[in-house]
Amino acid sequence: MVVINWIIQNILTQASIIIGLVSMVGLIAQRKPVSEVITGTLKTILGFLVLGAGSGVIVESLTYFGEMFSEAFNMRGIVPSIEAINGQAMNDLGLGSAISLTFLGVFIANIVIARFTKWKYIFLTGQAILWMATMTTIGGYYIGLRGWALIVVGSIGGGIFAVGMPAIAQPIVRKVTGSDDIALGHFCTIGYLFAAGMAYLFGEKGEDKSTLEEIELSSSFEFLQDSYVSMMIVMVPVYIITAIFAGPELSLEFSDQNYIMFAFLQAMQFVVGIYILLAGVRLMLDELIPAFRGIAMKIVPDSKPALDIPVLFPYSPNSVIVGFLTTTIGAVIAMFVLPIFGLPMILPGMMTNFFAGGGAGIFANQAGGRRGAIIGGILHGIFITLLSALLVGVFDQVGFVNATATDSDTIVALLIYAVIGNLFGLG
Amino acid sequence: MSKPNILFVCGNGLGSSLAAQMATQDVLDMKGVKVNLDHSDLSSARSKDADIIVSASNFKSRFENMRDSLGEVDIIYLDNIVSKTEIEEKITPVLEKHGIV
Repeated sequence: MVVINWIIQNILTQASIIIGLVSMVGLIAQRKPVSEVITGTLKTILGFLVLGAGSGVIVESLTYFGEMFSEAFNMRGIVPSIEAINGQAMNDLGLGSAISLTFLGVFIANIVIARFTKWKYIFLTGQAILWMATMTTIGGYYIGLRGWALIVVGSIGGGIFAVGMPAIAQPIVRKVTGSDDIALGHFCTIGYLFAAGMAYLFGEKGEDKSTLEEIELSSSFEFLQDSYVSMMIVMVPVYIITAIFAGPELSLEFSDQNYIMFAFLQAMQFVVGIYILLAGVRLMLDELIPAFRGIAMKIVPDSKPALDIPVLFPYSPNSVIVGFLTTTIGAVIAMFVLPIFGLPMILPGMMTNFFAGGGAGIFANQAGGRRGAIIGGILHGIFITLLSALLVGVFDQVGFVNATATDSDTIVALLIYAVIGNLFGLG
Repeated sequence: MSKPNILFVCGNGLGSSLAAQMATQDVLDMKGVKVNLDHSDLSSARSKDADIIVSASNFKSRFENMRDSLGEVDIIYLDNIVSKTEIEEKITPVLEKHGIV
């Protein structure tokens, strides 16, 4: 008993070990040679720890930015980044083990649902499952679930989303790709369908509606396809303008460098943190996803892989650029409008504007032609910013530093928890 | 000759590049070809020392802009990045050129 207790207290509370064990089980299940099992397990643990290092860098930059922003504008400026939320939850809030096990649980729930229902979707976008596991864990934690209940409820909820979201997106995906071979596995689907719905209402109608893909688009925006470039292009001016309004005094508490230069470096540090964090995610997923795919294809032979949104980008490249630009415009409008209604100011999240915006452009163009794509894209930007803003209250209570989540489906999952929690007087 | 490196590239180097890599792994396993496969984001691709780069066709202009700094590398653009038919069709001539098939 003593030994078991020691193992539970010292080893199984280490999130890095848990995720390593998850990966090890996957590798053994595939009957990999011992050398690959060992290196794969170690690489997964390395990935988790790299993710934590990236999160530390992000939190430092966000702490600085949060204080400077309040000093400058006398209000809160929240950075939307699901990566930052995941990093903080996994490390600073001690939810890492629960998130890792929920991550595994979502895989299992996904396979079970796909096996026994007619929805044969297998969700293969690993980072999206990680974000979903993060949000269902935060949601469960917020309403007071602990231990196995936290993990089981989060896994089943995540599994339902992992099958349900590709299923509701499939009619449009089928039109975009012209086939039924692949599905969309990206937890921004509710946003995409919102964009498509708005495009359908306000866009062009009928079979002969125009499409963005027939026009020649200036290539001058294509550099924004590099997500780190577009993040820097937004974060640097946002930090510098904030520093100019805040003045040099507060900055001195962080560093004695020139305050404008320091703002520039802190903006870059934010991107550095995202870069490190995603490198960690990549190391983690490299072992887990192929294992999951192999196992899922054996258990659900007629499965359909649900893949990340850029899989659709080559089918509709102009819509991606237009969707990115219009979603960013919508996000900027919402940034200024939401505070009027007493909500916090949400800064534009470039990672999500690019990926979710690109997807929204494709869906809106499909549903409402050129006019639909533009109107749908702008409304999509407002919609996803509003969702991020609605979460801030929950996140403040849980203890997050100056950040909120992105990715509409994961937000809706968490809001479902919050609503249920309020109904039963929890949280 | 050492095994060539094939690098799969997408915006973040997380989702779709790994999906393309897994689909390609299946194609190469069927052909019995052994190469090193890895995936990365666009910003890091330049420093990865790949012999062959595989990416989605919407990234074409980005690669053409940095063509000079990439050195001697073959670039394959896919419209459907997980279509095994398209992958096999486009990758086979490049592998032949490298003397692998």
